[in-house]
Amino acid sequence: MANNEVAPDSSRQAFLSCLEAGDTSGAMRCARSLLGQSPQAGTARLVRRAVERMSSEYLALAPLRVALLSSFSIEFVHDFLVALGLVEGLRIELYQAGFGQFRQDILNRDSRLYAFHPDVVIVAVEGKDLVPDLYRYDAPDGVDLEKAVAEAGQELSALTQAFRERSPATLLIHNFAPPAWRRLGILDGQLGPSQAELVAILNGTLAKLCRDSRGVHTVDYAALVQRAGSSAWYDDRMALYARAPIAPSVLPQVAKEYVKFLRALAGKTKKCLVLDLDNTLWGGILGEEGPQGIRLGPDYPGSAYVEFQRAVRGLRQRGVVLAIASKNNPADVEEAFAANHHFVLRPQDFSVVRVGWNAKSQSLREIAASLNIALDHIVFVDDNPAECDEVAHALPTVTVVALPAQPEHFVRALLEPGYFDGLSVSAEDLRRSELYQQRDQAEELRAQSESLEDFYQRLEMEVVFAPVDKASLARAAQLTQKTNQFNVTTVRYTEAELLERQADPPWLVTTIQVRDRFGDNGIVGVIMARVVGLEAEIDTLLLSCRVIGRTVETAMLAYICEHASRRGAQRVRGRIMPTSKNAPVQDLYERHGFSQRSDREGSGNDWTLDLSGGGIAYPEWLKIVSEVPSA
Amino acid sequence: MEERVKQIMGDVLDLDPHSISGDTAMDSVESWDSLTHINLCLSLEQDFQVSFTVPEMEAMLSYEDIVRVLAEKL
Repeated sequence: MANNEVAPDSSRQAFLSCLEAGDTSGAMRCARSLLGQSPQAGTARLVRRAVERMSSEYLALAPLRVALLSSFSIEFVHDFLVALGLVEGLRIELYQAGFGQFRQDILNRDSRLYAFHPDVVIVAVEGKDLVPDLYRYDAPDGVDLEKAVAEAGQELSALTQAFRERSPATLLIHNFAPPAWRRLGILDGQLGPSQAELVAILNGTLAKLCRDSRGVHTVDYAALVQRAGSSAWYDDRMALYARAPIAPSVLPQVAKEYVKFLRALAGKTKKCLVLDLDNTLWGGILGEEGPQGIRLGPDYPGSAYVEFQRAVRGLRQRGVVLAIASKNNPADVEEAFAANHHFVLRPQDFSVVRVGWNAKSQSLREIAASLNIALDHIVFVDDNPAECDEVAHALPTVTVVALPAQPEHFVRALLEPGYFDGLSVSAEDLRRSELYQQRDQAEELRAQSESLEDFYQRLEMEVVFAPVDKASLARAAQLTQKTNQFNVTTVRYTEAELLERQADPPWLVTTIQVRDRFGDNGIVGVIMARVVGLEAEIDTLLLSCRVIGRTVETAMLAYICEHASRRGAQRVRGRIMPTSKNAPVQDLYERHGFSQRSDREGSGNDWTLDLSGGGIAYPEWLKIVSEVPSA
Repeated sequence: MEERVKQIMGDVLDLDPHSISGDTAMDSVESWDSLTHINLCLSLEQDFQVSFTVPEMEAMLSYEDIVRVLAEKL
């Protein structure tokens, strides 16, 4: 029997029953186990069909419109993409351009691509379709390959620019893999720039283009091919017979790479990594073998755990918040960190530590509450299948990584899914763990305080309002994409869309930065409002959970009222779009004296405030700073 | 082997596996076009750990033909 056989009937049935019952997280979990590590084409198709048969209201999935433009037949990736999207809670709708039509689709303003109104456009072009001469086996007569590569770079730049003028969608462009067989064999590069060097130059041009454009990112296709090896990646038979060069066995890798971007765009990037200790951060059982007995150090298997700790530390440096959930004696753990000098991670790298004998799901709940992070932003890593299973069933929205048996495979298991990949790295990300520690100190202060007002006073908060600018754009877009709890409408914006509104005079696009006596929280909020005639309409009002419960939201409403009056508005209107996560914001307008409007769809989620009453006052304990637009 | 072929054909062509018989063929099944044909061949390859040549794929145009080509490979 083949080891990757068709999924058994029972797990198919479990999946289909979850779908029919509208149990979204159950369906996501079943789909994940059905698809497994190397998904079957047939299984992916089954999952896709089942999802597409369900009405969108029935399942709590985030819709995402994805357009695929390619120079070859990439249709075979569709089933994998939709199926793996479901595993992440996404409902992906696809548009496939005719193959080889990517230039026309981008350049023609009336193309079906733009009529589709995509959220994301993926340009999958093989190097040999963009610069054919560079990939030929026979020497092209009189062709200057360096010039051809420069021209290809210019074409990519022109297409990107044309696209940006026509659509605010996020653009993902494949880079290029070098040819498997070089024209000059072992002499490639010894007579002039090698084919591989020229491909690298083209990739460098593309990388720079993406860095310099808003909402344009490189899909590192060269790295995908490299990881599998080009002999395994390409199927020469299918390339020539069906113009489908990517081997079926690696197609899921393409879909998984796309999903990393889509997950980030949908605001589903994971924020927190919770780790087990025994046989995860080190080898062996601390309680039995003692701090010197555990495996951690220069020799195998200790070396594998050192590598894993380095990978974890790398994530922390990228802004991932670390926590520990371990069944151990707290004193033993402290002793291990102090006594074993091979630790890469230090106790202060962890924002929350739960060491005890509770169920892991209980520890995870406490960690989530303490960090004010939703469970679906947590990745839990453990070597013990029973613990993984307990968490997966008790907390279906937590992403569980069950480590493989051998520690040398841990790093791959942690990094391959790209759970923590975001579309931008902001200064706040790099400081996030530190910020959460500041938050913990602020919580402690609250516990000592006599009254809330005292607490606010003692925090010495300063709130800075500033129009979104070049420096804050990435962070502002990221906040709209990631903030789920304190977010009135949960409308997601790309950088390009924010810029577009910022340039439009009726719009107010403002960032909110909060400092307190414990440090600078950075940019933690965004306001987007539009003044039309006598009415100011709040489109977006959001606040990072880091500073919820400190009256910053009152200051934000006060700021909106102030600006609305200044621009001649007599009323401020706001809307709540309820989601399963934004309960903390749902009474925002009500508790600030807005009155409910019943004249629109009777939804009861429209609120207005008449400014003739003087608007809303800034809380007296906040120091307000308003920055004027920079030139 | 026959049951697994029917299961895979059912998934790829969106058919009830029990409805598949010897004369279920590309000509008579609406969802069985050239694109799904490639998909079907690739799914069978993946599941049975075999590799078809292009002439074999071009001959696998009905359930009966698929089973015949596969039987020669296994």
